[in-house]
Amino acid sequence: MDKPQLIEHLHESLNYTVYDTKWVPLSAKFVVLGAKANGHGIMDIYELNKDKLEKVKSVEKKVAFKCGTFGAASLRNRHMAIGDFEGRLQVLDLEQPDLPVYNVKAHSAIINTIDAIGGTQIDCGAPEIVTGSRDGAVKVWDIRQGQAPVVDMSPPPQMGDGVNSARRDCWAVAFGNAYNAEERIVAAGYDNGDLKIFDLRSLSVRWEATMKNGICGLEFDRRDIPMNKLAVTTLEGGLLVFDMRTQHPTKGFSYVEERNAGRSVGTNGVISGPKATVWVVRHLPQNRDLFLTGGGTGSIRLWDYEYPDKRVIDDADGNRLGVAGTMHMVSAATLSSQPVHCFDWHPDKLGLAICGAFDQSVRVLITTKLNTY
Amino acid sequence: MQSEKKKTLLEKYEIPISHLDFAYVETCKNAREMEKIVHILRSGEEGYFPDLLRCSEEKLKLLKPDSKLFRYEENIKKSDILDKKELKPILDWTQDIKTKDSALNELKNEKQSLDLPSIRKLGKIELDKPSPEPAKPTPAASSQPAKAKESRIKSTDYSKWDKYDPDEEILRMDLDEERSKEEADLKISIKDKPATKKELKDEKQAMYERLQTQLKRLSQLEREQFADKHRLRGNEYFKAKEYDSAIEEYNCAILYDPENAARSYNNRAISYMKQSNYVAAIMDCEACLQLEPENIKARLRLADANYARGKRRESYYLYQRVLELDPENASAKQSLKNLNSQLGELAPASATRLMIEELKPDADAGKPKEKTEVKPPADKQTTVVKKVPPPVAKKPTLAKKPTVADAPPVKEYDLAELVKPNRVVNSKLVSAAQALGNKFQAPQGNSPKKPVQSNLPSNEAMPAMFRMPQDNLNTSNKLLIQEI
Repeated sequence: MDKPQLIEHLHESLNYTVYDTKWVPLSAKFVVLGAKANGHGIMDIYELNKDKLEKVKSVEKKVAFKCGTFGAASLRNRHMAIGDFEGRLQVLDLEQPDLPVYNVKAHSAIINTIDAIGGTQIDCGAPEIVTGSRDGAVKVWDIRQGQAPVVDMSPPPQMGDGVNSARRDCWAVAFGNAYNAEERIVAAGYDNGDLKIFDLRSLSVRWEATMKNGICGLEFDRRDIPMNKLAVTTLEGGLLVFDMRTQHPTKGFSYVEERNAGRSVGTNGVISGPKATVWVVRHLPQNRDLFLTGGGTGSIRLWDYEYPDKRVIDDADGNRLGVAGTMHMVSAATLSSQPVHCFDWHPDKLGLAICGAFDQSVRVLITTKLNTY
Repeated sequence: MQSEKKKTLLEKYEIPISHLDFAYVETCKNAREMEKIVHILRSGEEGYFPDLLRCSEEKLKLLKPDSKLFRYEENIKKSDILDKKELKPILDWTQDIKTKDSALNELKNEKQSLDLPSIRKLGKIELDKPSPEPAKPTPAASSQPAKAKESRIKSTDYSKWDKYDPDEEILRMDLDEERSKEEADLKISIKDKPATKKELKDEKQAMYERLQTQLKRLSQLEREQFADKHRLRGNEYFKAKEYDSAIEEYNCAILYDPENAARSYNNRAISYMKQSNYVAAIMDCEACLQLEPENIKARLRLADANYARGKRRESYYLYQRVLELDPENASAKQSLKNLNSQLGELAPASATRLMIEELKPDADAGKPKEKTEVKPPADKQTTVVKKVPPPVAKKPTLAKKPTVADAPPVKEYDLAELVKPNRVVNSKLVSAAQALGNKFQAPQGNSPKKPVQSNLPSNEAMPAMFRMPQDNLNTSNKLLIQEI
């Protein structure tokens, strides 16, 4: 077999619900964020030690944790930004997690999703954190700024306060296009399938589209290059990859779509069972054209994106129109009977990954032969 | 198995049952239909036919090798299926990364004073309020019907119809359309205004300078990390065939960590080669080899670049250097084989081609002299017959002294072949050669007089080897050439 194989290296069962897992950059440690049965938040730090997992630290807080990221942390401090169930955003030093470095009541409801940028690259703008919440708002934070968001993308107040109202629920956010100090884009996906691309430089909505189903996952293939691709995953098994190089004046960005990406393909390629959500999409840090999706049936799939011969064509009106490439499924494996909803590739080691599923466990995975792509 | 209401796959796909047959599968050319047949057979709704299924799967594989039906999924394997050998890199890596980790932790206490970009001005993007761009079409749309109402001319209002100019109206419509298109374009172009080349260059220069100052404040560990990131990103661009961006990334990688930049140099070399910038590629290969003298890829690329530049002789030795390291290198072997087959026709580095020129009648009143230069180089001889007007003495030939020492046995020269295009009569050849021989000896002494034209320095383009029919060659001539 010369195609990549997904292998479970280590498995750790936990006594709480996992919501997010992230590798600590440049280390063999990872952080597991979750909620205990009593509603308390828990943060565990594990370390890979030979062929065992060792729990290094465990921190419990009053409010359950939902999501976290190291994107805005420099290599030296490696602070983690965490969003919780009550809409609080805090930045923690893993050495002294009791006293947050930064703490703000960011939203009036749970922070569903978080992304950050600017920590580990030089000359690509300020370190910033973006959060998306059930209150419908998307906010960008700079921890040097104090208690107000630097950019606020909230629905107008007449739509209610975000607790019991018609406001849309923001499920996914992602940074992108930060190739110099000024340019920066935030993509946000909502529960009704709306996809909005905000331009932070010109403070405008750059593009809007609506998918057939609610958007669960979003990721630019790279955050710190001129926009190249954006992967979008939805309920009911949709996986779309947009070519973000060329924006057509009326048609927007072109895309390639894969339906049923969340369902299990079975052992013989015949898809069966109900439609399942694609919870998460993560691009390989070492190769942006390979990405992995985690599905509602407890399976993960590795995809390969192939660019078309010509990425841009001129349409009849002389406008530039992007051409989407094709997606191939490289490999697939069933991990669990419950959805795989969080996944993180190790930023420094090709093929090493950590994933969390709703079966109250985290797994360290190894993917072989990724270097052949 | 299937309920009364639910359609079987056979009905759903509208495939006649007779198509589930070896003979049909054999002749089917339609990949989509084949997929449906395989799907039906796999579902087992029509019964279990393992041979037919295998046969149709094979057929489908021929028709559509990347069909979704060949996707399969299995339960995840445990790491014990991996060899110790395969797991070892991971275990080694954990050790390695832990040392880096603790090094970073020590760095943590050091104060780092990078100039971070300033905080963004507070801003707000209105979500559902129509933003200025979508706002435009709305008023335009609403105002248009009003305007249309005003300007609408009743069919009975003849005086107005007299004034009506359809051309003007058409022009107006065209202009409107143009304007809306321009607005749409503007919407996009605001976002990505193409900067001029100079601006880009200045910007880049400024960026590199900024990086330089920032770099001094980074530890070696951090620099390594950043450099590696840039290198990987360069590789991605390279894969997507965007060589300019790839080179940019490699530039950064080299800038960040010049001491461990061998791989970046090497990769930048191949990017340059893809752009046919062989000089830069050669420089990068050499830079890489300076850091890692044993790097086979760099050696191979150096040879390839030299070959592509037309320096076949150099590339020959460079390919041999590759084989010194890796005697089994297929690429180098193949290139050497090709070179060997060409080498027979290949002039040495020191050789110069001489042009054969027709004498212009008015150039000299005197008898046209025929001169032949015999350039006896290392392994082949370039013999050039030349008729030149005497006054055009250009270059002394002495400079190209024949190196007889390593000259291989003299080959036969087919002067006839050379002569033909230059319209020298065949019968004159012998005398010409003779004259040539005499003349040749003389100039050895007083070279400056010798009218040699060496205006074609690269003699690889045309094989300059002469083969003279035996009967045309007298012995003295042959001897002369051999002496040389």
